Amino acid sequence: MSRPDTRPPLPACSPALLTTRRAVSVRTQVLAVLRREWAVERAGREVTVTTIPFVAAFVVLAGLAFGPAPLTLARTSGGTIWLAVLVAGVVIARSVAAAEVAEDSWDVLRALTSPGALFAGKLLATWAALVVTWAVTSVAVALLFDAPPPVTALWAGLFGTLALAAVATVFGVLVATGVRRRGLLSALLLPAGLPALLAGTQLSTPAVPAGPWAVMMAVYAAVLLTASWAVFPALLEE
Amino acid sequence: MTDLRPTRPRTPDRILGLGAAVTSTAALVLALVVAPPDAVQGQAQRLMYVHVPAAWLAYACFATVLVGSVAYLVTRDLRWDRRAQAAGELGVGMTALAIVVGSLWGRPVWGTWWVWDPRLVTTTVLLLVYAGYLSVRGLSDDRGVGARRAAALGIVGFVNVPVVHFSVVWWRTLHQPASVLSPDPAPMDSRMAAALLLAVIAFSLAGWLVLRRRVRQLAHTDEAVGEESSALPAAPDRAPLVVLSRSSP
Repeated sequence: MSRPDTRPPLPACSPALLTTRRAVSVRTQVLAVLRREWAVERAGREVTVTTIPFVAAFVVLAGLAFGPAPLTLARTSGGTIWLAVLVAGVVIARSVAAAEVAEDSWDVLRALTSPGALFAGKLLATWAALVVTWAVTSVAVALLFDAPPPVTALWAGLFGTLALAAVATVFGVLVATGVRRRGLLSALLLPAGLPALLAGTQLSTPAVPAGPWAVMMAVYAAVLLTASWAVFPALLEE
Repeated sequence: MTDLRPTRPRTPDRILGLGAAVTSTAALVLALVVAPPDAVQGQAQRLMYVHVPAAWLAYACFATVLVGSVAYLVTRDLRWDRRAQAAGELGVGMTALAIVVGSLWGRPVWGTWWVWDPRLVTTTVLLLVYAGYLSVRGLSDDRGVGARRAAALGIVGFVNVPVVHFSVVWWRTLHQPASVLSPDPAPMDSRMAAALLLAVIAFSLAGWLVLRRRVRQLAHTDEAVGEESSALPAAPDRAPLVVLSRSSP
């Protein structure tokens, strides 16, 4: 037989106050999650220490593998940038929820923030990490391969990293909160990032018509962002 | 102990099975006896009567995965998840079959087992995406958690399907564009077209039958696991499964 609920009722709140609080709180939650992500990164330097040396090694080894013919290096420069960003995305995705799971604070974070705010905060942090990775890789390739990328590469850098950030956020949470098969992350992320790799390579290669690829990259980013935002709350449920 | 064997075939299954058998036989006769060999590709072209239907069925299965995943996340009804899982398994099998048969065809016609053609690469990547979809189910012991994760991946993974389909148009490389479903279809002998159409129907009916049987089998498994879980004593009274340390006598 269950006991009757003797707890006092929750205090009432005016609809206007509720709306204001909710509107402010979502933005505050996003900023709080973002600040927390940066604090975790500042404390551990996880992404900085692992990703930057990784892309530096990747570019140097790619130059050795494809070079030394300048024409070959110029032709492979765009692909090298995006392959490096895509593979580095696996490293970055691994840290999306790793700190919370390791500290056993994932449940607290999930309870205190709305799914949308948690997704947005984690997405922005992942996007920032990927943009930095892309920028560092592009500069390294431009210098070492002697192949400055065209202006359209900026479009690819903006939307390609956004799409990869969305999918890295979803897969990072999906795999980190599992009890086994955590190595599955690369097997999930690399194939899903294929459109970013293809369009990014074309947009970063000189003398390639950019129009269709730019449209494809933007559409891919928009679709992936929408799909990731829609499915993210389901990953947070018990 | 629960019997995990599939139940006896139901009437729709019998009809589907009969339809698949009849259309398969007719497609085989048309493809191997009636239809002429291709003027350029020779006998190797007959592999297309398997390659094209397998690819079609794979696309249909992946669309079913998308529908099942969305429906599961909306309704939380495990029947949708079982449909999505069964379709994912069949889709992976059909994609692998399409790649293998395409490779067998490519050897005599293109002179190589494999080329770095975008259509081939993206189809292989699609196979990897849905192999990942099936693997995600093992991330957790909880049936519901596994189903939610798989549904999330089933939706996000489908983003790649249009890229695969349109890759021939975008890259304009070695792989021939669509012959039938194209705004400007290539001329085809009517016997070849009939064989191809019948093969597609045969694959569709057989695939539908396999899906129905597999969904029922998964439902039996879920029921069995549910019965075994409910048959266990409550957690506090349960005996420890592993003895971590034993004091010496």
